[in-house]
Amino acid sequence: MSKSHSITRRSFVGTAAAGATALALPGTVLAQAKDSLVMGWPVDPPTWDPVVRTNPGIQSIYKMIFDQPLTQAPDLKVVAAVVKAWKLSDDGKRVDLELRDDVVWHDGEKLTTADVRYTYLERKQKGEKLDIATVWRNLTDVQVESPTKCAFILSAPMPTAIPWMAFLANFIVPKHYVEKVGPEKFGEQPIGSGPYKLVSYERNSRIVLEAFDKYWGPKPSIKKITILIMKDVSARVAAIQSGQADWVPEIPIRDVARLAAMKGFKAEAQPITRIILLQIRSDQAFADKNVRLAAHHAIDKAALSRAMFAGKAVPLSVITVPGTPSYDPSFKFAYDQKLAKELLAKSGFSPQKPITIGMATTNGYFPGDYDMARAIAQMWKAVGIEAKIEVIEQTKYFELNRANKLPEATLYTWDNATGDPEMFAGYLLHPKLPFSSWKDMGVGERIMKLFGTVNYDERIAGYKDIEKYAVNEGAAMPLLQTVLTRAYKSDLKIVEYANGWSLPQTWSWT
Amino acid sequence: MNGGIFGVIAKRIIVALPIVLLASILVFVVLRLLPADPVAMSVPPNATRDEVEALRRALGLHLPIHEQYWIWLTKIATGTLGNSITYAQPVFRLIGQSLPATIELVVVAAVFATVIGLAGGLVMHRLQGRAGEQAADVASTLIMSVPEFLWAIFFILLFGVALNWLPFSGRLDPGVSVPHTTGFLLLDCLIAGRPGAFVNALEHMLLPALALAFGTAPLLMRVLRSSLMEVAQEDYVTMARLRGLNERQILLRHSFKNAFLPTLTLMGVQFSFLFGGTLLVEVIYGYPGIGNMMVEAVRNTDLPIIQGVALVYAFAVLVINLAVDVLVLLLNPKLRVRR
Repeated sequence: MSKSHSITRRSFVGTAAAGATALALPGTVLAQAKDSLVMGWPVDPPTWDPVVRTNPGIQSIYKMIFDQPLTQAPDLKVVAAVVKAWKLSDDGKRVDLELRDDVVWHDGEKLTTADVRYTYLERKQKGEKLDIATVWRNLTDVQVESPTKCAFILSAPMPTAIPWMAFLANFIVPKHYVEKVGPEKFGEQPIGSGPYKLVSYERNSRIVLEAFDKYWGPKPSIKKITILIMKDVSARVAAIQSGQADWVPEIPIRDVARLAAMKGFKAEAQPITRIILLQIRSDQAFADKNVRLAAHHAIDKAALSRAMFAGKAVPLSVITVPGTPSYDPSFKFAYDQKLAKELLAKSGFSPQKPITIGMATTNGYFPGDYDMARAIAQMWKAVGIEAKIEVIEQTKYFELNRANKLPEATLYTWDNATGDPEMFAGYLLHPKLPFSSWKDMGVGERIMKLFGTVNYDERIAGYKDIEKYAVNEGAAMPLLQTVLTRAYKSDLKIVEYANGWSLPQTWSWT
Repeated sequence: MNGGIFGVIAKRIIVALPIVLLASILVFVVLRLLPADPVAMSVPPNATRDEVEALRRALGLHLPIHEQYWIWLTKIATGTLGNSITYAQPVFRLIGQSLPATIELVVVAAVFATVIGLAGGLVMHRLQGRAGEQAADVASTLIMSVPEFLWAIFFILLFGVALNWLPFSGRLDPGVSVPHTTGFLLLDCLIAGRPGAFVNALEHMLLPALALAFGTAPLLMRVLRSSLMEVAQEDYVTMARLRGLNERQILLRHSFKNAFLPTLTLMGVQFSFLFGGTLLVEVIYGYPGIGNMMVEAVRNTDLPIIQGVALVYAFAVLVINLAVDVLVLLLNPKLRVRR
């Protein structure tokens, strides 16, 4: 790619004739070196210490450099990684782990259970402020039996211990290196045990990675990765179209269709484990169950999908997505304007005598958010609900919720790469967790009970029930399973993960 | 003369201190009054309310505003500016890493703006009363009425996509790297003896600098033209004409020198705005400066970074204004005599 790019630049500083030739180039694809890849990425890692933050947008980048104890297959199933065998005890308070013995850090040192203990326990004990420490708040000890065997000891059951080991911030860091250089330096110049080594990094601009030849897993076919941090969506579209990037995600849905029709490109919109929903209060105007259910029945989710996502986003009836353990395809919550009007009439409201509620939404935090809120307000108006829309920043949601000042409904998005129901309905409906706006204990108590249910089948069955119960009670208004859009060169073969991970270590040029 | 200039500098610095302090208070208080929670982006999804509260306390967000401000002032005095909530690193270091890229971009943009503005002003003056003047007038109005970020996107589409002439992301091509010495990339390329990388860095800088310059150049153009028209009525211009000098000689030897001073004063104001323009332009071009960092900080409500960068902006405006004042003093003999 670089080579051909320099040729076109020579044309710029060269003759007008060459410039005229370049004019004929729009829409064409420049050739790229077959062992390298340029990605345009919308988010920059805030730190290279992967246990500090739980940020879904950068998990794929971290997975290029670091290993997680466990990982997920493209279909979301939890599979072995550094940990080759694992067992959660029946009481959920002990996790036995057996590590591979052929994993080495980028400096050649061997990865052992000492690194696992350091990552999960010792850094927390030193008082470092790490998200991984919050996630594993009940971890009291990591008992090391040998360099490849250890056990996590918990003070309370953690039914989701296994999926968490493949989730956010759960990356193993090198004890010897962090202790040698200090956490701060490690956050700038890390080493990991993943398929790529970090070669250079310029904040908010560029990340250069090189394949690690001693990686324990399948060796990456693409040897060099350059990640250009492109936060601006028009720049990402321009980058793929001009050949300055080989792969870009999160482009407008209209550009997906346009680029897909162009020779040399592929463009797709893939439904992933991210949902759009209305976060609901259990009081104020929504204290009335009839009003909540009417509001839900009045929303034409298929129309929202067509308008905002070219019909690619999947309308949802529960707070989870197809392909996850607790998803029940037989349950449908109907779009029914007539029923919505009847429910409102029972409570004394109608289009002529509407009930007024507040609805908060972000504008630009996720694609189509504000327009979607306006469309929902129109749908509500047709049945007798007058919504006053208030635009808020994403960070304001948290503050308003804390101060109990959220309006009746808030348009919200939630990402859960694991697909586990605790990370969907559990965190969104647990009245004592800070992201939930639903405070009623009817749903809350059932959710809290499931937080202590260790038996997998029982837990999943419980969530299946509660997801439907919450919707039937009007405690949850799931809207859409949203999509990850991307465009890339047609000779790039990618692997599609249901959770939207983009892992070039699994890709190749054809 | 030197004493006069140094006196002006000293006075300016004395005045600048309370201005910076007031700006810091304003930024600090406004940020604290916003109903956004910086902790929101810094907790895992299973955090409990107690853990969120503990984090808030650890960040000092539970304290009264005046106490928080005092703590921040002490951090300024110790040169750390506090720790970023998002990056978990000292703000001073983060700004230090990003500031050279912004300064470099602003300087190149200022050079572009100056060249385009002055050349355009002279051309408009020369074309006075002709169709070309109208065309130049329309062009400058058009340039001025489109904001920088739209020019930035337009340049990407034109020079990056349609013509495929120039790169538009980052500071160097994927295959090019230069050892980090000063953070000023052009300088680092020269220090490393890498002329190819220097050219590459310039190519990457061209479009963002041009987009920034387009916000400033038309004003300079118009002010210079107006000043030239005013100066053309002065007696010394008439005398020069009587002495037999041609219009070109009059313009370069007499009119331009005098008309340049008001333009220079405006340049000071406009170049301060260039820093503000970097906010969106740096994001669009993936340029790793403080503008880019500021936008990210606002998105994450990372208060320490927002405060730190705002302070840098305030400081930059004062330094530019001071530099322009000194230049005006040096160039205007009348002001020197008065002092």
